Amino acid sequence: MTSEVVAEIEAEARELRAGGLVPEGLEDQLDKSFDDVADESLAAASAPGAKAVGGARAVLGKISSLADLRKQADGLARRRFGPSLRRLERRAALGARKAADGAWITVHVTADHFERVAAHSAVASRVLSTIRPRDLAASAMATRRPTIEGGLLTWTLDRLSPERNGEAAPRSVLHAECGDGRLVELLAARGLDARGADPGWSERASRDARIVAGGALEYLGATPPASFDGLLLTGIVDRLRPGAARALAQLAAASLASGGVVVLVSTRPEANMAKDPVAADLAPGRPLHPVTWCHLLAQSGLLDLEVFEPDAGDPDAREPELFAVSARRADPGREAGKGIL
Amino acid sequence: MRVRPVRIDQIIPSIVERDAVSHHTLEAQKVLHSMGFVSEIYAGNMGPGLHGRVHLLEELPREEPERQWVCYQASIGSPAADVFASHPGLKLLDYHNISPVELVERWLPHLGEEVRLGRKQLAELAPVVELGFADSEFNRVELEEAGYRRTAVAPLMVDTTNLSSTPDMRLVDRLSSARSRGGNDWLFVGQMLPHKAHQDVIKALVLYRRLFDPEARLHLVGRESCPAYADALHRYASALGLAGAVEFAGSVSSGELAAYYASSDVFVCCSDHEGFCAPLLEAMHHRLPVVAYGVTAVPETVLDAGIVLPTKSPLLVACAVNRVLTDARLREGLVQAGLKRAQEFSLDAARRGLAQAVEQVLQAA
Repeated sequence: MTSEVVAEIEAEARELRAGGLVPEGLEDQLDKSFDDVADESLAAASAPGAKAVGGARAVLGKISSLADLRKQADGLARRRFGPSLRRLERRAALGARKAADGAWITVHVTADHFERVAAHSAVASRVLSTIRPRDLAASAMATRRPTIEGGLLTWTLDRLSPERNGEAAPRSVLHAECGDGRLVELLAARGLDARGADPGWSERASRDARIVAGGALEYLGATPPASFDGLLLTGIVDRLRPGAARALAQLAAASLASGGVVVLVSTRPEANMAKDPVAADLAPGRPLHPVTWCHLLAQSGLLDLEVFEPDAGDPDAREPELFAVSARRADPGREAGKGIL
Repeated sequence: MRVRPVRIDQIIPSIVERDAVSHHTLEAQKVLHSMGFVSEIYAGNMGPGLHGRVHLLEELPREEPERQWVCYQASIGSPAADVFASHPGLKLLDYHNISPVELVERWLPHLGEEVRLGRKQLAELAPVVELGFADSEFNRVELEEAGYRRTAVAPLMVDTTNLSSTPDMRLVDRLSSARSRGGNDWLFVGQMLPHKAHQDVIKALVLYRRLFDPEARLHLVGRESCPAYADALHRYASALGLAGAVEFAGSVSSGELAAYYASSDVFVCCSDHEGFCAPLLEAMHHRLPVVAYGVTAVPETVLDAGIVLPTKSPLLVACAVNRVLTDARLREGLVQAGLKRAQEFSLDAARRGLAQAVEQVLQAA
């Protein structure tokens, strides 16, 4: 039956076209319009493109031993980076020999353009895993991670802890960009099912199954909705482009279960500006003000926004450059009539 | 007849909740348990909520070949395939299709690398796999073409959570409010990935609004898994003046998904590549008529329970939707055929399919 119907539909389409009801060239124009916006979107995307991946494959495909790696590194050092890369490579080689499972570690050292280097590293990591799955691992490391301590630490842990949240007690908590996993341990010590994800985490180097490798955007993007009762965001929130910040807020909101709480800890923009205004201005990503995070989280449908600024409320503040924002996803069972999305 | 092994373990590159292949793997474990085998799942990566139910790949035991078989869930390139290949046990491979590299590489270069590797590994594994089974005939033929000697079809064990959820009533109310102002509602459900070709559904909507229903709306439900592609779709809808007519719902809960199915008039699929396409069955279960571009496994999944088109020219898709929505008899016929088709993919039937595939290997000389 349906084949006859399809034939009739095709005949109708032909008639409409012949009758001039569909302007000539409209469908071609629709195709071209999409091709144009696709080019724009791809150009705007910061992730390394096919050319970069192809280049990485070409280089890494030649590597079949540590000696080969040294040869490649020497070539790069001669061309551009000088003796510092040689020293770094020697240290990496030493570390590789020491690694119990024989994993190789590549370290990207950067003082600026962190986001671009991290994106490159993430791609390199996946390329490495496709070429030499047993031999190579890649790791991105930040030069400095702000330490969350004192009143800021207490405030952050309290927001994610069952005692504060009553019936909607968080059980499953993710710390995205968890660094060395210190806060994951502290959250677990409070009785939570705490997990962590970090782009620099080497699963081969640790047996801690609570932590996996992955950046916040990448990990949350691949996470089913409503996966967590609590979410802690650090690290990446300091170096996001405006579009990525909005995307992160939306991903965070989507990843929370009803009643779930997100806490993000970030650096005040003024702090970077005071240290090095040129670098702060030219940085591809930058920290946002607390009020901007509140705006983005509220736009993502979250409620009960709170801001904690250590220098204002914490006489023992050890990191006055930092602040924290928390927000909650509505619980329809407790808040009938209020919108979630 | 072969010696019955004590255990049949599964290997999967990555496992997360609410993912079709992951769900299938968890269901397959139940089937293997019911057949009396010890069976554990070993994953290269695992998402939250699965610790305790799934083991890390490094923990995969290597017992005597006659005691342990291994089954690989193949859908992407992964180091897990090497672990599978080097295992001494008899090998089964469950194939869920790998997207063609040309459809994804432009947008997701790293995914391009992974699917390229996946195809290579699929071919390399052919000589060592005893039985390759696939969740559609389309996928089974790909296994044959890749060099697999023995193949079978064992249907996907579809996640029925999405079929039994109660619609989110607040969302139903919101969608009803829009419907009260006129216009039909189109729906497509699927991750926002380039091979799903959401842009072609939008193109068809443009023609449909121009020719038949200027108030028609389109709801695109699914995780925005490729930021650049999602950005292009948002820009495209805006550039066409459809910002108010195309809703990008993103990833939604089961209740919200049920609300979209309950509040839409037609399910429109213009994907360039589908290894099975479970949302087609979900739409049928929810009494939603299906209009789909007949490519890859789509015709096999739909059969005669929907309008399967030979091309996806925007005009043809628009005309097909109009026919379905204006011909009450055709619509009711499709709804009834869809309900019957969805029932054919019951979990029990799919479980039997897997059990038969395993028995087939046991019986082989």
